[in-house]
Amino acid sequence: MFFLLFKRNKKDKALRVVLFYILYCIINEFTNFYLQSIHSSFVISLFSIFTVVEYSFFCYFLIFALPKDLFKKLVFFTWAGFLLFALIDYLFLSHSQEFDSFTSGIESIIVISFCVYYLFSQIRLSNNLLIYSTFNFWVVITFLIYFSGTFFLYLMTESMRENVAFQKQYFIINISFNILKNILLCVAMTMKLNHAVNQQKPAIPELDDDLFIQTNTNQQN
Amino acid sequence: MFFLQVKATLGISSVLILGTLGMFFMAITLVSIVVFHQRRVIRFNKQIQKMEEEKQQMLLRASIQFQEEERQRIAADLHDDAGPLLATARLYLNENLIHQETAVQLQSIFSAKQIIDDSIQLIRNISHSLMPPTLKNFGLEAAIKDLFEKINGSGVINASARFHDNRQRLNDEQELLVFRILQELVTNIIKHSSAGFIHLTQNAQGNIVYFRIHHDGKGILQQDFEKMEHNSAGLGLKNIQSRIRVLKGKIFFEIDNTHTYYKVTIEVPREPVK
Repeated sequence: MFFLLFKRNKKDKALRVVLFYILYCIINEFTNFYLQSIHSSFVISLFSIFTVVEYSFFCYFLIFALPKDLFKKLVFFTWAGFLLFALIDYLFLSHSQEFDSFTSGIESIIVISFCVYYLFSQIRLSNNLLIYSTFNFWVVITFLIYFSGTFFLYLMTESMRENVAFQKQYFIINISFNILKNILLCVAMTMKLNHAVNQQKPAIPELDDDLFIQTNTNQQN
Repeated sequence: MFFLQVKATLGISSVLILGTLGMFFMAITLVSIVVFHQRRVIRFNKQIQKMEEEKQQMLLRASIQFQEEERQRIAADLHDDAGPLLATARLYLNENLIHQETAVQLQSIFSAKQIIDDSIQLIRNISHSLMPPTLKNFGLEAAIKDLFEKINGSGVINASARFHDNRQRLNDEQELLVFRILQELVTNIIKHSSAGFIHLTQNAQGNIVYFRIHHDGKGILQQDFEKMEHNSAGLGLKNIQSRIRVLKGKIFFEIDNTHTYYKVTIEVPREPVK
């Protein structure tokens, strides 16, 4: 599906961003699994990197999804600010040894705010296209639901990391929202696939002119 | 956030589960609100679009009907007036073939000439009713004044017109459309209002040209006009509306503050001369 969509929509930058995000998530999951199996201390850093990269993907997607230039600038500046903040948190506040709960919380709030802005900007647009038939809408609600659902989880991870009960809950909630995220992204991809298929259909249906002429000629005879 | 991190030790499960569920349902509610609102807006837009299409359809039908009526009138004029005249002229000319006397021949030729002259006049009248020559040659002001002179000649109603700022004329197409609208309005006033006078004023401000007709008869107001526009009756008013649309202008039916005079105001934006 990845390659099919990538090949069909080479010029669609928003789709490419999402496809690369999915690819990055898969790679990250495997790396995470591997590092945990060898009890590496780099796992914490991997989470911090994931937070920053994930947010960068989201901002990059928003730049293509939003129509207003002014808002694009705001997205860019928040991205730069967030990057700086994440770096300070990683190097000086958490000393690269703690889970980046604070950075994740900030990330969730910004992402949710942008998603809400996107949805309300779509309400103000008065076109007759159903909002849920668009790829961008599904990607935005994926991020909105995923970040809303994991907001409290990531926020409490650092302080509750050693708690066994929390670890179980972390596993369930994280897996559940990851599955939901993947399902919603699949729906988004389906929208794009349908759009690509619909675009290939000719605008005017083929008319059997020969048959029409033949029938008329026979009637005349 | 630090507060949550510290307090969470008291009841991990409840804070985490309630917080997560709360946020999740908030997100779902938000998305649902957006989707339902958008569906409602789309439904409303579609309804408006449908109504607009129906209105356009009605205007188009009215325009076609008007064209058909115009054709029938021309056909009737030609058949009932020009046809018999030319047939009579033919009879006179046929007589020349039968009677060889010069005096009779001259008499019949003279009669045939008179009938042909009448026919020419009749055809000219039909042609003038289709496209007034004054409008074509001298413009809207002259055509309106010409029309009003003819109305005054009947002695039934007193018609006057004053053009304040006609230095920059409308283009030919716009002038014809405005003339037809004013003609229709004046005809309606004469037919239905029992007015004693009609006064037309023209003025311009910026790129907009204004025409206002005052009369002291029984008139209609904007709401009556809009109501009649949707009725199957009121063909003339529908034509006015469709011409106003072509002009990208506006029309207002009002009554003055003293409730003595009715006024119809037309706003026409100038288009560059083609």
